[in-house]
Amino acid sequence: MPKYAMVIDLQSCVGCGACSIACRNENNVPDGIYWSNKITETYGTFPNVRFHYMPTLCNHCSDAPCVRGCPTKAMHKLDNGITMHDPDKCIGCRYCMYNCPYEVIYFNWQDPHKFWEDTRPVIEGGTSSPREMAQKVNNGNGAPYSNPERARTLPENRPKGVVEKCTFCDHRLKAGEIPYCVEACPADARIFGDLDKPDSKVSQLLGKFKPYRRKERLGTEPNVYYIRSYNPARHERTKGGI
Amino acid sequence: MKAIKMQLWYGLLGLGILLGLLTAYRVLIGTGFALYAKTDILVWTIPIAAYVFFSLTSTGLAFVSSIPVVFNAKRYQPIEKRTAFLEISVLMAAFTCLLLHLGSPWNAIYFLFSPNFASPLWWLGMLYGLYFIVLLLSFWRMHTVKTSKGLGIFTFIIAIATSTVLGWLFGLPDARPVFDANFLAMYFPLTGFASALAAVLLFSLAYHHYAKIPLSDGDRNLYDDISKLFGVVMVFTLIFFIWRTIVAGISASAVEFAGFRHMLGSGWYHLALWVGLVIPILLISMPAVRAATWGKVTTAALFLVGMFAGRLEMVLSGLVMPTGPKAEGQPPFVSYWPTIWEVFVFVFALAVMLLIYTLGERKLKLAEVPE
Repeated sequence: MPKYAMVIDLQSCVGCGACSIACRNENNVPDGIYWSNKITETYGTFPNVRFHYMPTLCNHCSDAPCVRGCPTKAMHKLDNGITMHDPDKCIGCRYCMYNCPYEVIYFNWQDPHKFWEDTRPVIEGGTSSPREMAQKVNNGNGAPYSNPERARTLPENRPKGVVEKCTFCDHRLKAGEIPYCVEACPADARIFGDLDKPDSKVSQLLGKFKPYRRKERLGTEPNVYYIRSYNPARHERTKGGI
Repeated sequence: MKAIKMQLWYGLLGLGILLGLLTAYRVLIGTGFALYAKTDILVWTIPIAAYVFFSLTSTGLAFVSSIPVVFNAKRYQPIEKRTAFLEISVLMAAFTCLLLHLGSPWNAIYFLFSPNFASPLWWLGMLYGLYFIVLLLSFWRMHTVKTSKGLGIFTFIIAIATSTVLGWLFGLPDARPVFDANFLAMYFPLTGFASALAAVLLFSLAYHHYAKIPLSDGDRNLYDDISKLFGVVMVFTLIFFIWRTIVAGISASAVEFAGFRHMLGSGWYHLALWVGLVIPILLISMPAVRAATWGKVTTAALFLVGMFAGRLEMVLSGLVMPTGPKAEGQPPFVSYWPTIWEVFVFVFALAVMLLIYTLGERKLKLAEVPE
């Protein structure tokens, strides 16, 4: 059984957000929910400032606090290391959100894709209503651009009252494809593979660069690793001064 | 006149329940949880704070009702039956809050079919289920035959287990050290006990007032005793409260404690400290106030108001500081003010509790002393 992991090369990442857009399209992620997200930080004082961009997603921790806390095993581990969620067993207590130190689990506060239920035309007398559009394209099942392949392992659209999060595109893995955020990354900053294979690209990268993971001190053993850091800046060699 | 007052009371409770049912419909079937002032950062708000408040008060009442059987303190027997029934009523309020907190409460069936023994929440659910059954059995036995020592001791043990497991539940995540399981496992039973003593004083004295039954010397001595005990437990609560403030709020420097440091300036914190602890302790430390019925009632009411604010402050203190990707575009600390629907959840729970209790007071002879 493989042990899946992702390496994110921050030197290659250009911060374009294509991973997040691809994820939304692939997994029918509703508004306000981010399976694929980012942390941006600005350091320094003008004119000496730096912008730092770090893509984030579920870390699929080997010792996941969300799994430990879930009372009904709705949040559970698969043999391949993926932290998976079963909405049919989820009671909507949000204890996984409370336990997750990485803030990557989201709750469906309301029915997903509400926008597409609106019966008012976007331009009166000029366009159809969102509902008419969704009905025409997708039989009214969520957004018109909904991806039916997501339904292979999870409901195509998760209902109100349950949580959801990144699944490493488990439905694609089953079909022999890599996660869609990895596929869509134009800079090849996301590398996916099996940690149990010593010759896999992820294993090679982890041996070649000093990797780090978010909040390692918590002992959750994340399976999303970061390597390198983008920084083109140079500075003139000096000893400083007083 | 009495009948009109009673009808008014039932009408008021009915209104509270109607508002609650409307909230339940809109939250669980209609619009959804967007009606609450919850966000992806504040995932737990008033419904869970109210749940903690009611459930700990209920387990505290279990300590009080077990005093005659566990500690063989016979002088507490006159309040045993009322306290036991109050436990059930208050626990129903806690369940009401929980129902309106859960996104998919119907999936709770998987507590039985897909249990996770590593989860404090699973243990809490099972223990509260067991606690409820034992409470019903215990009360029924008290009502029909006589107090069962075995059931009394069992209730006491489960009450300790539930209130300490709740501490484990909050303290589970290493990422939220502001909730320290060791501390909460002592603080929760202690504050539950204090809330229970306040509730016993309030409801027992209200019974004497509304049933127009004057206090006998025995009653007076008992309520004076409870007031003294209440005062002592409040002082211990204040000591814990102050140490929590010092350890997690003033001397802690880790970023994870910043949420609590922020809450030290909030109205909820000051309501809990001043209205819920300092003023009631000052009041009850005056012999004349402690001896007077109004003094006992005021002290108990202030403490309960403050304790509710304290539960909310505690829940918020671990959540108000956004971190990670959810901090994008957010202020350093998010503010919270409940929506009317969240207030209705509390009103619903209170109305359910008071209705059950009123019916019990009228039909089940709660003033009776069990054998």
